[in-house]
Amino acid sequence: MKATTFSATAAAPSLEALIRLIVLLAAVALLVFGLLFPLFAMLVKSLQDRSGDFIGLANFVQYFQTPALVNSIANSLRVALTTTVVVVGLAFLCAYGITRTCMPGKRLFRMLAILPILAPSLLPAISLVYLFGNQGFLSDLLAGHSIYGSIGIVMGMSFWIFPHALMLLTTALTNSDARLYEAAEALGTPKWRTFLTITLPGVRYGLISCLFVVFTLAITDFGVPKIIGGQFSVLATDVYRQVVGQQNFQMGAVVSVMLLMPAVLSFIVDRWIQKRQVAQLSARAVPWQPTPNPLRDWTFALLCYSVAGIILLVIGTAVYASLIQFWPYNLSFTLQHYTFQGLAGGGWGAWFNSLKLAFSVALVGTLVIFFNAWLIEKSEGYRPLRQGLHFMAMLPMAVPGMVLGLAYIFFFNQAGNPLNWLYGTMAILVLNTLVHFYTVCHLTSVTALKQLDPEFEAVGASLKVPFWTTFSRVTLPVSLPAVLDISVYLFVNAMTTVSAVVFLYNSDTRLASVAVLHLDEAGYFASAAAMAVLIFLTSLVVKLLHTALTHVLLNNAQRWRQAG
Amino acid sequence: MQTTLTSPLTAHSAAKTLSPSAHLSIDGVTKRFGSFTALDNIALQIQEGEFVCFLGPSGCGKTTLLRTIAGLAQQTAGSLIQRGKDISTLPPQARDFGIVFQSYALFPNLTVFDNVAYGLCNRRSDRTAIAARVAELLALVDLSGSEYKYPAALSGGQQQRVALARALATEPGLLLLDEPLSALDARVRGHLRHQIKALQARLGVTTIMVTHDQEEALTMADRIVVMNHGVIEQVGTPAEIYHQPASAFVASFIGTMNFLEVTAQANNHALLGTTLCPCLPHAYTQGQAAQLAIRPEAVALSASVGELSGDVMGIEFLGAFQRVSLRLNNTEQWLLADVPSRDSATLGLQLGQTLGVHLPADAARLYPAGSNQS
Repeated sequence: MKATTFSATAAAPSLEALIRLIVLLAAVALLVFGLLFPLFAMLVKSLQDRSGDFIGLANFVQYFQTPALVNSIANSLRVALTTTVVVVGLAFLCAYGITRTCMPGKRLFRMLAILPILAPSLLPAISLVYLFGNQGFLSDLLAGHSIYGSIGIVMGMSFWIFPHALMLLTTALTNSDARLYEAAEALGTPKWRTFLTITLPGVRYGLISCLFVVFTLAITDFGVPKIIGGQFSVLATDVYRQVVGQQNFQMGAVVSVMLLMPAVLSFIVDRWIQKRQVAQLSARAVPWQPTPNPLRDWTFALLCYSVAGIILLVIGTAVYASLIQFWPYNLSFTLQHYTFQGLAGGGWGAWFNSLKLAFSVALVGTLVIFFNAWLIEKSEGYRPLRQGLHFMAMLPMAVPGMVLGLAYIFFFNQAGNPLNWLYGTMAILVLNTLVHFYTVCHLTSVTALKQLDPEFEAVGASLKVPFWTTFSRVTLPVSLPAVLDISVYLFVNAMTTVSAVVFLYNSDTRLASVAVLHLDEAGYFASAAAMAVLIFLTSLVVKLLHTALTHVLLNNAQRWRQAG
Repeated sequence: MQTTLTSPLTAHSAAKTLSPSAHLSIDGVTKRFGSFTALDNIALQIQEGEFVCFLGPSGCGKTTLLRTIAGLAQQTAGSLIQRGKDISTLPPQARDFGIVFQSYALFPNLTVFDNVAYGLCNRRSDRTAIAARVAELLALVDLSGSEYKYPAALSGGQQQRVALARALATEPGLLLLDEPLSALDARVRGHLRHQIKALQARLGVTTIMVTHDQEEALTMADRIVVMNHGVIEQVGTPAEIYHQPASAFVASFIGTMNFLEVTAQANNHALLGTTLCPCLPHAYTQGQAAQLAIRPEAVALSASVGELSGDVMGIEFLGAFQRVSLRLNNTEQWLLADVPSRDSATLGLQLGQTLGVHLPADAARLYPAGSNQS
């Protein structure tokens, strides 16, 4: 063999560097046009009058002089704080049961506890109406209080947010160091003191982070208060009412700014905590293993399965409501609510649109977000650009869906915006949803990429292999489990979200989640339940497929993982 | 010089004498991270076919220098010339080198075959040529038959050899090894040391290895570059580095060295306490404070007490020899001396004993006072 066979024909380095710069700029452009400019347009709108002239803070003054609007701030804070206490308290106990006791059936409980995430937040609200509404079969339990209002909102939100809190706290409580507990035991420390001095300090960052995540989700949620809030208005429903009900875009922008504030605040606190949390657990920590204790184990089992029972009851109620003729008068079985014929909302067409949206977001979003994270994490040069991109990737977490949706109207529907053609298309829904759920996917990608050997790219470069080859042959396949997690996360969220897209669909791009809203508004409660169940089942099927696919991939296609 | 694996093998020394030209010239290379200077005006010539080790404590800049040569780090100032071509600003892709990292960085999802062929596939060679080349390389590193295993199924030493085969696959002019052995256990390390050295000699590929392990550097390198605080302390053959350390740092970093506080005297002498000791020629002025460095194995002990003597304060059994710590009687300074096991019986070595100490002049070297702190 001659040496010349393999003689270096190095690809022009300048070309590779140029391509790298172009994709980096494209990534920045995506978030500038998909996030920064719309938010800026919204801020500008809040300072204008109806004819578009600058009027300073006049809108804000008017806002604070309108009691009906200002009341919503207190209302929002009240329900969000109550929900936070309920959810975090319950989720902490359940997470403790999962991680620190030998309670039976942990895996089954964890599976059941995830279910609410697969449903739109509208579903628990609809179920609660059936359970506790004027004709609900558990109404007596409320002792004369109405489910329509703060009680219903807190209950519905708690149901929907619980899985998020449980996942965060389970992770926090899993990271334990057995050596600390052994030391405490050797020193004869009582159990309660061990809990206060070791367990709680160990999870404090996770706990605080969880508090803020739950609070943000609660204060920005739109689905639950829309369905069950009745006359009890919160910030998120005010935005909708101002824009869709009264066509008062300026006031909608003002309320959006108000809604943005608590979210931004909790975002800042969360970032601050994440920075301090570095390496709390040393690499030599030994995971703590619980030992059986029948009384404790069964107490936690009882608690967890009560929670699981409530979750099943709520979902079961929606399923039941969608399958009977007419509650409570005619309880015979029917599938007619699933035909959606002649009703508002778009019926099966909306479901197909949602499917299309969810698949598009899952496919495009996963690739774009993972590749962008790779650019930030694994490429050299253009440091300011990469840092800017990382900051913008973290930002969507602080932007409530309602705010993002409204911001899109202001930006893309502007006369003279060259991107105006996007307005009313499926593309804008894809873009909006992608940006809306960007942060969690970004963080998942970064975590996965940080686990890779930092020298893969250097090896590829030394072997004269272009970066995109190393990305597609090594980085992507090795990170496949994380990539699949991201895609299913995006799919489920695209399927269930209602807050941002409620402003952006048109007659051709109606979505299933919006259809639930419209069916409910029009009084077709059973059909609304049917559509919500349909969304839930779609998410469930995709989630199950994802689990199966991951299993197959890890066992067969990725044989190399068990090669050791 | 371009070598293929199938071409007749040239002895390493021959390769060196045949092409005395410089493979790589490093000139004035400086690297700063903010106010921290990682590399300070490094100048170095590496000859064609040479095996050079960068040796130094962690943080001395050796890895930074290697990454600068590879183009993985960009120097703040200075130039790099490889085979007459200025590569100072070229990205790694455009430079001619193969690299093996401490972590090996094998692609976990690719088989051994695909890992080794990784750089070959890109060149669009035909499949049979690639397969033949991979077989050849795996035979070279003693891994024939492991083609379809995944990295996780291999031992650390085997993974290391796959990484080596992968780096050599594209026949780079320069092989860079970044602490290639430090993740392995001692036995495998010793074995691989020989293998790598023999392979390098066979292929005659110019090689730079970074290591913090002096034994590795002494046994493998043609020349050692000792670095500290971002500057080169000394460049030389292992024997030169060991026997003629250019600075107190090199003297203390390589091997074990006694440092005794002395006062320099004329006519190549030094005053140790009240004893006048002859030493190697020095340039210190009469009465100047200095330190006298001498290796433990050079110190001669005798049962007859002469002008210089010491009390045995500790005896450490190290197999082939015993390391004796003595307190010198006239200065209260401590001295280590290595006594071969067969001599210890004649001495009747025991604790508390007073022994005569002789410091041979040709092994006693003076360094500036207080300068051996790294």
